Amino acid sequence: MKKNTFYLMCGCIALFLLAIFWYSVEIHNPLFIEIAFLLGIALAYLARKKVTDLVEDERSAKITEQAVLRTFQVFWVVFCAFSIGAVMQILYIPQSPKVFFTQPPPALLSPRMMGYFQLALLCLMIFLYVGFRIYYARKYGDWETDEE
Amino acid sequence: MKNKIKVFRAMHDMTQEDLAQAIGVTRQTILAIEKGKYVPSLDLAFRIARHFAVNIEEVFTYEDEPPAAGGRG
Repeated sequence: MKKNTFYLMCGCIALFLLAIFWYSVEIHNPLFIEIAFLLGIALAYLARKKVTDLVEDERSAKITEQAVLRTFQVFWVVFCAFSIGAVMQILYIPQSPKVFFTQPPPALLSPRMMGYFQLALLCLMIFLYVGFRIYYARKYGDWETDEE
Repeated sequence: MKNKIKVFRAMHDMTQEDLAQAIGVTRQTILAIEKGKYVPSLDLAFRIARHFAVNIEEVFTYEDEPPAAGGRG
């Protein structure tokens, strides 16, 4: 399989996933998009293995490795900062029985806000990865030009 | 780390693309190594030297750099 065919295929998978996502939203069933997402990613990975003209060497591997590492270094801090708050809510111990019966534990985020927050985290991760990838590609000479 | 890949390429009348294909990397990697933007692994360094049929020290020279004033990068 040629590289461009693979990219075209990835585009088709993305469009297909978008359509399934829309359908899942319409019927209020997230199971469709969850299964479709896993299948789509598996399909993309299998297709990538069939690409013949995609040369990956140690420099491109290092760029990817560094970008992933830095992304996770930032991402886990943000994720933990949020998760610590959620754990505190789970471990909430009322001060006295009276408080327990009259005052419910303070809600950190509503389920809807939790969804938005997860979306924001996902976007953050993608932006971080793209940003770090551009940085390391530039650092390791991806856009260097030569007289040849 | 300095290298004489460009010199050896000229001696063997090779383009960056030729060398890249011969050792299984991209042309951009050869360019990055030549310009000092990327330090190759030992494995790749040996492959380059072996391709030109010389010792690795003849292609690559290690030079002590003054410590950078801002930590690691």
